[in-house]
Amino acid sequence: MLLLTLLTVNTLLVMNVITERAIDLVEDRIEVSVYFQDYTEDTTITSAVAYLRSLAQVRDVQTISADEAYEQFLERHEGDEDILASLEELGENPFGPTLVIKAYSAEDFEIIIDALDNPQFADEIREKDFSNYEEVIDRIRETTDRVRGFGIALSAIFLFFAILIVFNTVRIGIFIHREEIGIMRLVGASNWFIKAPFLLEMIFLSLMSVGLAVGIMYPVLAIIEPRFNLYFGGQSVGLIQYFSENGLLIFGGQFLILVLITLFSTSLAMRKFLKV
Amino acid sequence: MIRLKNVSKLYHPNIVGVDEVSLHIRPGEFVSIVGQSGTGKSTLAKLLFAEERPSRGKIEIGGWDITDIRDRDIPTLRRQIGVVFQDFKLLQKKTVYENIAFALQVAGVTPSRIRDVVPRVLSIVNLDEKLHRYPKQLSGGEQQRVAIARALVHSPKVLVADEPTGNLDTLNSREIVDLLSKINEFGTTIVLVTHDREIVNRLRKRVITLEDGKISSDVEEGRYKL
Repeated sequence: MLLLTLLTVNTLLVMNVITERAIDLVEDRIEVSVYFQDYTEDTTITSAVAYLRSLAQVRDVQTISADEAYEQFLERHEGDEDILASLEELGENPFGPTLVIKAYSAEDFEIIIDALDNPQFADEIREKDFSNYEEVIDRIRETTDRVRGFGIALSAIFLFFAILIVFNTVRIGIFIHREEIGIMRLVGASNWFIKAPFLLEMIFLSLMSVGLAVGIMYPVLAIIEPRFNLYFGGQSVGLIQYFSENGLLIFGGQFLILVLITLFSTSLAMRKFLKV
Repeated sequence: MIRLKNVSKLYHPNIVGVDEVSLHIRPGEFVSIVGQSGTGKSTLAKLLFAEERPSRGKIEIGGWDITDIRDRDIPTLRRQIGVVFQDFKLLQKKTVYENIAFALQVAGVTPSRIRDVVPRVLSIVNLDEKLHRYPKQLSGGEQQRVAIARALVHSPKVLVADEPTGNLDTLNSREIVDLLSKINEFGTTIVLVTHDREIVNRLRKRVITLEDGKISSDVEEGRYKL
């Protein structure tokens, strides 16, 4: 039961890493494209870029000139005769310069969009194109939060049963060794001398559970990571890396918490059944 | 050495273990506490090594007031009082040597000191030849001698023996009482709880008789009168 609790907690950790990675990837792909009028002067573009770069929320600003925009349009619609014919009919480059803005996180885009209303160049902006990725990210978070809540509830249930099992293990241990305990008391053993074997056994049990959890987690991570990597377009999710870098903290912390819980449960059982 | 003042032990308002018992046992004395079954002999013994707490009164052992002894002080008290029971209370999976060494190990005594003390107490009880035997390989009398040896390892000032001959035949009972007398000659105070008439009469030591939880007689060089 202790092992099941640990595996559930570690699965939650894995889920957390995957969620964060998914959100990072989505955020990485979000950008705002700002299309300027075709008559916009280069100086206006330069000052807009400088202004945007001065914002703390902006990660990168890429400039696409009118000519580059025209070339890209031609490339994109290479086989589409009708569109190319329509473009020919116009006789001139209908595209203006474009700025492609990347932010640090999805919440930053609203601020960036508002900032673009700056009267210095707002009139020269023809269109702002921003797909609402925030909704996608919210949905990811909402789903993972729900799964996480379920996982936490499951961990709590496992933990409750683990405490009960430890409690009963100690109770049975006291019953089995009652004669020996009685003799220990008779010959003047200190309370700690009598209690220590039970406490040490539980510490050993905690250590074994954590050891098994480590033994299960790493091979499982090695198996599932490549599959997750496929979902993320071949990019590494970094599960093994995360557990390697933080392994001591994660499993050391889990061991300490487990020891505290088992000692608590053992002490309860001893207080109730071991009269020393 | 041992002083009880108006000590009562009530297990229930209507069930009395001992009732208003007052007595004084001097250092080096050999005292037999006698009485019929259910008169409070064992309760009195248990009060001496804090297996039971008095409901009323005051108990002092060697000047130490143990009336309201704290749980954490009980091990210290038990290392100063040796206790022997009718059923020996030996660990069946340990040898004679290990049973005796165990009493020292639980008190945190060093292995070298254990190696020194155990053979010495085993020679007092004449079991130095049987140190590697298990309790089941010994007679009842020998097992009781192991229990006495174990009670002696801390060199106690007081040895409480609660019906030590209850499971033994006459010959073994005599041997045990002789052994207790020998230990008493070394200066250890002995409190012997028994209902064995022959033993008490043979000892010719102080006899305290209990009836319905009260002391009905306390006689130096007494005899079993019930």
